[in-house]
Parts: sequence; structure tokens; C-alpha cells
Amino acid sequence: MKKRPDLYTNYRNESSIFPTTFQKFWFGLLLVSSFAAPFILSSYWVLLITTSLLIAIASWGLNVVSGYAGQVNLGHGVFVGIGTYVSSVLGGVATTSVIGYELDMIIWLPLSGLAATLIGIILSPVSARLKGLNLGLVTLALVFIGSHFFSNLKFITGGAGLGRKAAKLTFMGIDLEAGITVGNFILEKNDFIYFFSLILCILLGLGVKNITRSKIGRAFSAIRDRDIAAEALGINLFKYKMYAFGISSFYGGIAGSLLFTLSGGVEPGSFSLLYSITFVAIVIIGGVGTVLGPLFGAFFFTMLPGIIQALLHAFGVGDAGFIFNPAEIERIVFAFFIIFFLIFEPRGMWGIWFRLRNYFKAWPFSY
Amino acid sequence: MTIFLQATFEGLSLGAIYSLVAIGFVLIYKATDVLSFAQPALAVVGAGIISGLAVDRGVPFWLALIIGIVFTGLIGLLVERTFLRPMVGEPVFSVAILTIGIDILLRTILNKWIGIDPRYLGDPFPSFGNFGSFDVSGVTLKYLEIAALITALVLIGILGVFFKRSKYGIAMRATSFDQEAALAQGINVGRVFGLVWLIAGILAGFSGFFITGGFNTLTQASFVSALRALPAVVIGGLDSIAGAVVGSLIIGLTQGYIAYYQLPLESIVGFTLGSGFSLIAPYLVMFIILLIKPDGLFGTKEVERV
Repeated sequence: MKKRPDLYTNYRNESSIFPTTFQKFWFGLLLVSSFAAPFILSSYWVLLITTSLLIAIASWGLNVVSGYAGQVNLGHGVFVGIGTYVSSVLGGVATTSVIGYELDMIIWLPLSGLAATLIGIILSPVSARLKGLNLGLVTLALVFIGSHFFSNLKFITGGAGLGRKAAKLTFMGIDLEAGITVGNFILEKNDFIYFFSLILCILLGLGVKNITRSKIGRAFSAIRDRDIAAEALGINLFKYKMYAFGISSFYGGIAGSLLFTLSGGVEPGSFSLLYSITFVAIVIIGGVGTVLGPLFGAFFFTMLPGIIQALLHAFGVGDAGFIFNPAEIERIVFAFFIIFFLIFEPRGMWGIWFRLRNYFKAWPFSY
Repeated sequence: MTIFLQATFEGLSLGAIYSLVAIGFVLIYKATDVLSFAQPALAVVGAGIISGLAVDRGVPFWLALIIGIVFTGLIGLLVERTFLRPMVGEPVFSVAILTIGIDILLRTILNKWIGIDPRYLGDPFPSFGNFGSFDVSGVTLKYLEIAALITALVLIGILGVFFKRSKYGIAMRATSFDQEAALAQGINVGRVFGLVWLIAGILAGFSGFFITGGFNTLTQASFVSALRALPAVVIGGLDSIAGAVVGSLIIGLTQGYIAYYQLPLESIVGFTLGSGFSLIAPYLVMFIILLIKPDGLFGTKEVERV
């Protein structure tokens, strides 16, 4: 039995999170090395990995609503923005222009997720009324309406072009802003954000995996594949679409609450149309309807500027770039990746990984 | 009353501009089942070419205008040939996202060229004074806005005749009805796809000129104005050309009226709606209309089979 990893003798085994010991071993190794990362890697890499993890969380959210439940959402960035601003108001410092309550992280972290969930649930009846492209276009409207609110509610956001400070990092009464010395290591603020992101990423990632193998996830897939058939099978479309939007915006809100504590400030212009599109692109590049896909996509998207910088330096042009500067090259490459993944590998990076894995599983036999 | 007429006139001319982009959207959607998010990008690319030729290179304005618009059409054709032809038969949503990729691509290259300073598009009638205007009993009529109205009317008229009378117009209608049946009747569906994108590109080029012409100028944010044709299409129904025109007029008028009547409106509702509310009002209108009529005002209801 042990020699046949793809042979399952019961359903429980087949739907388990890690079907083989091999996977358990690698996941454990990844966990241990992730927790050791801030002690080994430089702060630049910690920052990049933290951003990747948070963007992965937000992308999982979009993947739940679009990848699993099949409801097109082009306005996911708005939910990230709601999470950001709820956390900034509850955890941030009040100034003459903006409000802030300096609450503990243990309060603002869940609340920012729940606030986004609430908005998501309020908006979900729209998805029960509309479907397909029309739903996508309405969510596109959401982006513009959202940015209008963000730039005009000046007492919350500080207004367009100015912005405000993000939430302060106080956890259970301990102020983490200044950093804490542990033995020979100084754990900085970003290291703590890294740990929080890592823990959230593990929990929420397992959450997504569990959704896919539970009743809700199966209902989502049924709705995605054919909503009318799903309804005929007794799935309450209204209820499950509400679940999908609620879960999705919860993920977005949680990611948003931490995402801008890294840089310390947030400007309403960040939540533009491109920002929302980025999440769609990450899910597509990573792999729609998979758990690992958005994680791959998020890491790829965050590392892309670094890779391009490194390549430019390798060619000896540095920051000057060729005709375009690095930021523009990054955007062009990103656009090309969207186009080429859709044309050549609709299953995304996960699809490439899947084929690679199967190739080596059967090695040296290629069939 | 003067304000009302002024708002109506400006709204109508805006609506006319939007209708050009909107018809492009609808044509592409009907014939090729693609919702092209790249249309706004095409519009600003057209404006960029005109500006580059007329202002930077000193080409006579009319020549620059024609070259710019034709080039935009050709870019549309090129996009269809290279990126969208492999996607025929793929899910509608995947292709829509692909056009977002094209949109990002085109706009990044264009934004690089535009830079920070706004670009002017040149002046066809210097003797009238830089895109001037004249007054009719207190209502200021800009030449550019009148030109937009007339151009839109003429182009819609030409398109109407084209669909009714010409061989390719009829082929296009057949293709939009059923692609495979059209293919079986000997219609070159691939060529129809290309032609549709060419026409949509040309329309986008015209609208790009009117959106960014005169004192509007071409900036990195100009595409947002062209994107506002999207709610217009949705209001009218994605597959109805008449709907696109009506939707565009609704959107244009909404925007015009809100721009002029925001202050009185705010005093009625009792709270401020925020600066730039007229720019997002179209999206709110779309939101409300879609909730009432999910297929738009003139869209055909999709028949679904399990």
C-alpha cells in the first residue's frame, strides 16, 4: 500500500489535507524553516516574504469567490481597502485630520476582517441577481465607488494624495513598534508582522483547503459549474453566494489590515482599478480554483520587481532600464504574463507545478 | 434654465463621445463574444498618436487625425489577430481578463510616452481661437462638443447603412447571430472578427480625440473617461447597439447634470457627496439599473439550458 501513493481505500483518506507522509514531511520542514526565516534572512527578504504572504491571503479570498464559487469579482481591492482603513482607524494614532483609537491588535485584526465581511455580505445579493459578465461589471463599479469613498472620507483616510498612518502594532498590551531583543537577535517590527502573517497564512490557508473539502466547498463548485443545476439539486444560491462573498471579503479584510502596517502609511490612491485587477491576475497566473495557486501567484507578483532589477543589473543597465524604467518593465512583463498564462496555461503556475510533479513521480517513465 | 440647457448640451455631447466607444464594445461583444476592456486603452492610444504627430512632429492636423484614427483601427486588428484569435471558444470571462492584460500593456507604453505633463492634440481651426466656443442666449457651445455630436451622428448613420446594405455588414450580423452557422454559410468568420476590431478601433480613435481634444488634454488618467463608456454599454444591454447609444446618452446626461447640480442636490440630501461625484454617478446609475433589469434596458434575455 505504501508504494502506491495514488491508491486510496477510503474517502476520508482521499480528502485529507496531506494524503501522503511525504507531503506531511515537506510541509513540516517548510513550517520550521518559515519560522526560522527572520533569524536567517535579511530584513529586505523578510519584507518581501511578508508582503507575499499577505497578498496570498487576499488572493485566496478572491479565489474562494471567483475560483471556487465562480462569481466574478473585479473589485476585491476594495475589501482589502476596507480592512486597511478599519484597522487604521481602530489601531492608528489620531491626528488633527484623522481619527484613531490606538486599540490593541487583538481587537482590530479580527474586526477589520469582520467589517469587510459585513460589506461583502451586504453586497452579495447583487450576485444573486446578476451573473457572469454583468456581475463583473458591477464589481468594477464597486472599485470606482470605493475609491470615491476612500478619497472623500477625509477623517478616516486622510484624503487623496495625503493618506494617513496605518495601525500601530500593540499585541496584548506589548508595544511591538520599537522591536524586542531576544537573545542575540533584535526582532524588529516587520519581523513581528512576518510572524503574524505567517500564522494567519497557515490558518487561513488550511481554512481554504477545508472549505474545498467540505459541504460549502462542494456547493461552491456546483454553483460555479452550473448554477441552475445547482439550484435544482437543492443548493440555496442566495445563501451560498452570500457565504462566498462573506468568506472572500473576510480574507481580503484580514490581509488589508496588516498589509499597510509594513510601510506604516496608506494613501487612498493605492486602491485603484489596477490594484483590484492585480488580485485577479495573481489568481489567474497562480492557478484558478487551487489552494497552492494563489500562493505561487502572490510570491511571483511580489518577487517580480526584484527579479527584474536583478536581471537589469546582470545586463549592466541598473536603474536606467532599456527604454522603460524598471517599474514600467515590471508592468509590461506582468501584462504579458496575464496574456500568456491565459492563452497557453489556463491552469496557471499550479498547472506547471502539477505537470512537473507528475513527471518526476513517474520518472523515468514519461507516461 | 440656462444652466439646465448648458448641462443638457454638455451631457449630450459627452454621451455622443461615450456612444462611439460603447458601439465598439457592443460590436466586439456581439460578433466575437468578447468583452473588450482594451477599448479605453485603444482610445487613448489613438489620441496619443494624433498628439505625437500633430504637436511633436508638426504634421498638419487633419492628416495626423486621419493617421491616428486609422492606426488605432490597425492596432485593434493586430490585437485581435495576435492575442484574441487563439482564445476563440474559451470562456467569456477568461478572454475579458486577457483584454485587461492588453489594456495594461498598451497603457504602460503610452503612459511612458505621455510622461507627467498633459499633452495637447493640436488645433484644427486656429482662426476660431484655440478650440473656441460661441454663445446662444447664454449657453456656451464649444466647437469641439458640437463636432463630437455631429461626428457621432454621422458615424452611427454610416454604421447603420453598413449593417443594412453592405455584404460585410450582413456577414457581421450573421456572425453575431450564430458563428458556426455563419461559417457553414461560407462567411469568413475570421475576417469578420478582424473587421469588427478594426471598426471598433476606429471608433475608439474618434472618441479618443474628442475625450482628450482641446483643453481636456491627454494625461495618464484620460483612459478613465473612456472607461465610463462601459457603464453605458451595460445600461443599454451588452448586445444592443441602440441600447449602447441610449445608455451613453443616459450616462452623459447624468454626468452633465450632476456636475452642474451637485450643490443643490447636496443641500437636499443634507450631506456632501464629495468632489468628483459626477464622475462616479454613471457607475451608481449602472448599479441601480442592473439591479432592476439584469440584462440592461435593451439587452436580450439569455436563455439558459441545463
